[in-house]
This record gives sequence, C-alpha cells and structure tokens, in this order.
Amino acid sequence: MRAVVKNRIGIFYPQGFIDGANARNFLAPADITATSTLKIDMLLVSLKKVIFFNKNGMDILVSLLGECKKSNSAISLGFCDYDDSKFRTMMKFFNDDYSVSLFRTAEVATLFGPTTSDNKEKNILVHSDDPSQRNAITIELHEHGYNPIATQSREEFSTKRQSEQTFYEVVNNTHLGLFGKKIGTRVVGNAIIYSTDGFLDAKMNDIFDMTYHRNSLSVGFTLFVFDMNKVIAMNVHGVNFFSHLASAGAEFGASIAIVGLSFEKTPKAFQEELEDGGILFFEKLEDLLDNQEIMDELGGNEGSIKHSKKSLTKVIVNELPNFISATVTTLEMMTNTKAIKESAAVQKITIDSNDEKLASSIGFYGDIDGMMILIFPRTIAKRACELLLGEVSDKTEELLDTLAEFVNIIAGRLKSLLAEKGTSIDITLPRTYEKIDGLIHSISEQKGVQVNLTFKGERFTFFLTR
Amino acid sequence: MVTAKELATYIESIPPAPKVLQDTIAILDSGDLVKASLKAQEDKALTHYLRTLVNRPIYGFTNEVKDLKQIFGILGLSNAKQILCNYFLHLIVPKKWELFSITNTIFEDLQALLNVNWNLLLTNENIDNKDVSSSIALLPASIIVCEAIFASKKKEVELIRSVKNIDLNTILKRLSSMDLFDVATQIAKKWEMPDNIGEILQCASGIKPSEDEQTLKLGKYMHLLFFYTLSNPKCAGTGLNDFLEFQPDFIADVYENFASVIGVEQ
Repeated sequence: MRAVVKNRIGIFYPQGFIDGANARNFLAPADITATSTLKIDMLLVSLKKVIFFNKNGMDILVSLLGECKKSNSAISLGFCDYDDSKFRTMMKFFNDDYSVSLFRTAEVATLFGPTTSDNKEKNILVHSDDPSQRNAITIELHEHGYNPIATQSREEFSTKRQSEQTFYEVVNNTHLGLFGKKIGTRVVGNAIIYSTDGFLDAKMNDIFDMTYHRNSLSVGFTLFVFDMNKVIAMNVHGVNFFSHLASAGAEFGASIAIVGLSFEKTPKAFQEELEDGGILFFEKLEDLLDNQEIMDELGGNEGSIKHSKKSLTKVIVNELPNFISATVTTLEMMTNTKAIKESAAVQKITIDSNDEKLASSIGFYGDIDGMMILIFPRTIAKRACELLLGEVSDKTEELLDTLAEFVNIIAGRLKSLLAEKGTSIDITLPRTYEKIDGLIHSISEQKGVQVNLTFKGERFTFFLTR
Repeated sequence: MVTAKELATYIESIPPAPKVLQDTIAILDSGDLVKASLKAQEDKALTHYLRTLVNRPIYGFTNEVKDLKQIFGILGLSNAKQILCNYFLHLIVPKKWELFSITNTIFEDLQALLNVNWNLLLTNENIDNKDVSSSIALLPASIIVCEAIFASKKKEVELIRSVKNIDLNTILKRLSSMDLFDVATQIAKKWEMPDNIGEILQCASGIKPSEDEQTLKLGKYMHLLFFYTLSNPKCAGTGLNDFLEFQPDFIADVYENFASVIGVEQ
C-alpha cells in the first residue's frame, strides 16, 4: 500500500480489519522504503475504512511508521479519520505515547501542515478536555496563520458549534503528540511568514524546512519574513544560518526580513552584520506588512511577483518531449479523450483570452530546474477533475484543489520519466490560479516553450519556463 | 484510459461455460449427486481442480479425498454447486497476475476462505439455497475483471492513487459508467448463472443496495466477508484490499452478528 500525498502529508488508507496478524502486511518493506523518500512533514494512517482494530495491530503500524522517521526525524506520525468511539479507544492506546498524534479528520491534519495560502480570515473552533492539548493546538494553529477560537468547556463548544458563526474547520477529538518542533509557516499576501521562538542557534539547520523554502522560491515567492517576537536570543550559528539563507535566495531575487527581534540578549552587532548581507529589520510585523510601497518593492503583495531573469537551458529543451508526454498522457487519461497538438514554439506566453480560464503551476529543481504552467479553459478543467471528484463540479475552490492534485500527477509522472533517463528532480507544492491575469503578467517578459493542445475543440496551454 | 467499448470487447472475449460443467450443474440441480460426479469426471481439468480445492486445509479433511463421488457426497448439493461455480472463474483467471501481487494459489485460497465462511453465515441465517450458496463463487470475479482491465494501466492507476485515495472500482465507473460488479454480472449472465446471483453480487459492491430485504442482508454479509477475507495476512499485502472501497456504514447493522458467527476477536 502506498501513501497518498497531499500538501506534504502522507496518508495510508487501509480497509477492513487490522490486527497483530495482518498489520505488517498492510505496510510492506517496499512501502516503507518508498515513503521514506517522500518529502513529507506528516505520515498518518486513516481509520475511515477500518471497522476493526486492536492494540497489537496499531502498535505494529506505529512501529512501521516510525521506520520512516529514521530518514526524516522531523516527520510527525499519527492517525486520522475516526469517530468518537474510535478516538476514545485510540486515546486509551496512545494517551501517554508522545510519538503519536491523532487528528479527527485528514482535513484537520492539513491545518497543521505547510500552507501556501493566506489563512488569517479562517476561524477554527478548537476544543479539547485537556487544557494543555487545547493550548498546544491553539498555538500551532496560530503559528500556521489561522484564527483559532478555543472553548473552555464542552457546553461552550457545543453552543459555539451550533451558532451562526461559520468556522472554516472544527478541531476536536484531536491530540497532538510530538509537534511544534518545526518552524511555523504561514502566507500573507505573497509573503511567507516564518515564526520562530526560543534560542536561534545551530538547531536552525534542523528545524528549518529548507525544502519548503526552496519550493516557495521556485514557485515565485520572493519575500520571507521571520517573526522573532518570541525569540530569546540568537548566537553566531543563527547569524550564519540567516546569512546563508540570504545568499541562497539572492539567485531568485528574494528578500529576507526579520521582525520583532529583541536585542536584550542578542548582540546589536549581529543586526549590522545581517543588514550588510541584505537582510531587512523591522520592529513590528505591521511595520512591514502595512507598508504597501515596501511590500510592492519586495514582491510581498499579491500579483507583484518579480520577474525571473533566468532563461531556458538546452537541457530543459532536450527534455521537452518528456514534459509534453507526461502532460498529454495524463490529461488524456483524466478526460478519457484524445489530445491534438496544435503548435509548439519558444516564445513569450500568448493566451487568446484570460476569461473563463484556470491555471496551475508547479516548480521543479534538481538536475534541471524550472516551472511548468498549465492553463485550462474551465470546461477542460471540469472534465479533467471529474475523475478525481466523481461528479461534474463548477465550484471554483473544488476545481482549483483538484487541479493542484492533477498537476501533481503530471509532475509525478514526469519525475519518474526523467528518473528512467538518469535525470533527478524534486517537485514543489503546486499553486493554482483562479484568475490568470496576475500569472500571465508576472511571466509576460519571460520566454518559455508554449505548447497549445486541443481536447474536443477546446484549447489547453502548456508553458515551460524558468 | 478505459472506455465502455473496451469493456464490451473484454466481456465478449470471455469463453462460454464448458458443456460438461453446464451438464454437471444441471444434474446437481435435479438433486442427483452420484450422476453429477460421474459427469464431472468426464472433464480431467475439472476433476483435478475439484480434488485440489477440496483437499485444502480449510476444508478440514484429515485424509486426502480423491474419488469425485466421495467428494460430491461429502460436500452435499449446495457446496458441490458452489465449488463448481468456483471453477467458472478458473476459466478466466490470468496466467500471471500483474496488477495484484498474488498467485493463483493465493487466489484459490481466497476462494476457499470465502466459501467456508459464507456457508457459516448462511447456516446461521437458516438459508439452504444452492444459488445463494453459489453466489459467493462469483464475488472474486470482480478481482479477475479488475486485473484484466487495469493490468496494462498499472502506472497510471498508481499515479492517480498517489494523490487521491480512489479505488479501482470507482475509477472504472467514472471512466466507463460500468463498474467491476456490472462486468462480473454480465459474465454471470453469459455463463447462464441464475439471476439472483447477479443481484446479490451487485448488492455486495456496497454501493448498490437491493430493495429486497434478504438480498440486501446477504449483500451486506458478502461485502463484509469480502473485506474480512481481504484483510487476511495472505491477502493484505497484495493490493487486493484497496481495489474496492469498503463501506463501513453499509454493513454497520450486521457487523456484530458477523463478528460473532465468524469469530472475530472483540
């Protein structure tokens, strides 16, 4: 059984009965090996389709999940998708086991994973009978940019849940095990905000998610803000870490800002050293976020993505047939219709009309790097999503969510096609665009390979750039 | 990826039931076990299959049973027909499994496990009906159909399943408007099996509940038994467990009884 991966959360979906005799068979060694190579932050087992489980079976699953931690110690492990009765049983099994987290649903787990969207308007209702859990959940959600509303009693929880106030998600029957070791990440506008606390020393290299950072650079984020209001002190290792980060981002035209750092226990000279390296300092987060001029200049506002100065390389052009093949065969598979190639040329992107179009993009890096952009007429997007959604949907949020999965499938296929030829790449989190004007504007000056395809008379555009 | 036309071609390619098998079943239906065993002996492959299957440990015979008359006598009318129906699937079982990590021996073990536990459930429900007893035999046809349709599309299926937890039955339904159980039912018709076998089979998919109370209950038991069997250590790592979506809500009201009859530890 292979894990389904979405938003850097891997989930296994066993079905039926899990006990000591069969648990090991659900996660074979090959599955563990494959999972260990995935770039994920959380690895969960869904109990949605499990009707029976016992302690032996669960212990074996936890120990098998633990194997994946050997290659990535920052992965959080746990279970999701259960009802009240299963939660009570699981709490009996794992209440004292800090290596296991429990999430009522996979959607709840997603709240604690990395995000590329601005969550500040999303109200999350939180309840746990255990005050320490309630606090831990609330803090984690806040660190991820959500607006958590914690309730102190079950009565208050029931009342709030039934109230007219709409909640983006309700977090109850949830238990965080070892969590919060990573730096909290949230998105505001087009800026990524990292929240750090405690002492910033050599451990930064362990707790900072460099893959996520690189993903964000690759898909066009250029402003990275470190909220250091809760930082006690930074030493020279911390300074080195930020210097390296600033140098690595320079290639992408990225800026790093530090806000809220107190210099009571951190030498003021460190600020000067970091400023020399191009890092900006602000007293408060609002000083930066509310300053439209600076935000525009740094690329932190939505639609203000900086233009990349990179151009296509011969290696990428040589691999073009693989990119097109992966896209066409996946789209044909998902729509069950044949594609006709209309044209292919190296050019600046040209789209007939931006109306009624949706787009998704995904970055790749490794032996070659670049960005693949897919522009769908809404009709093709709906058809392509039908297989994954199971119904014809016209809800933009559903379509965009499914397009993100769709572009992931294409990138996954591409990754394996290139691997067969000895070219190794990693892929970023996908991004989707409800309106393509901003996207087109941001890449309008860049040359890339544009391939126009038609599916049942509708034009679909593939654009490969750097 | 898969079209309705491809499915029609696949169903067309299914061979008709051999004459000896059809005649043996007809004789069994008339209630003559001895005459049926003599008829079955005319087909050497069928004879070999019956001997091998019945002598599996799950059937519990302490000494090897070789004589077909003896085999039919021990099994009785219902069970004999059930095992003959198993043989239908033997005709279309792939030589090499590509999609699922199983062998034909594991597949036959799976058939045997289903048969024995199905009989326990029917006994508990006081149902003594040859057709109902035989209906379990066609359930694994859905596995064979799935293998035949998706074996050459393994990579595509894996890619889809790497981003979305979606079972193969659902993928097929969304692509072609027919699911694995529709195809299996068409095969049953081609083999001139009784209609109620197809009805129970459709209900056992867990997504097409029957309006008939008994068929609905049997469909629930069959759905649950299928997943209980697929959770067996021999099957759990084969990929069989996730080709169809388990429907816990569908079987919720029969679970306690099922667990007690089959002996699921609580």
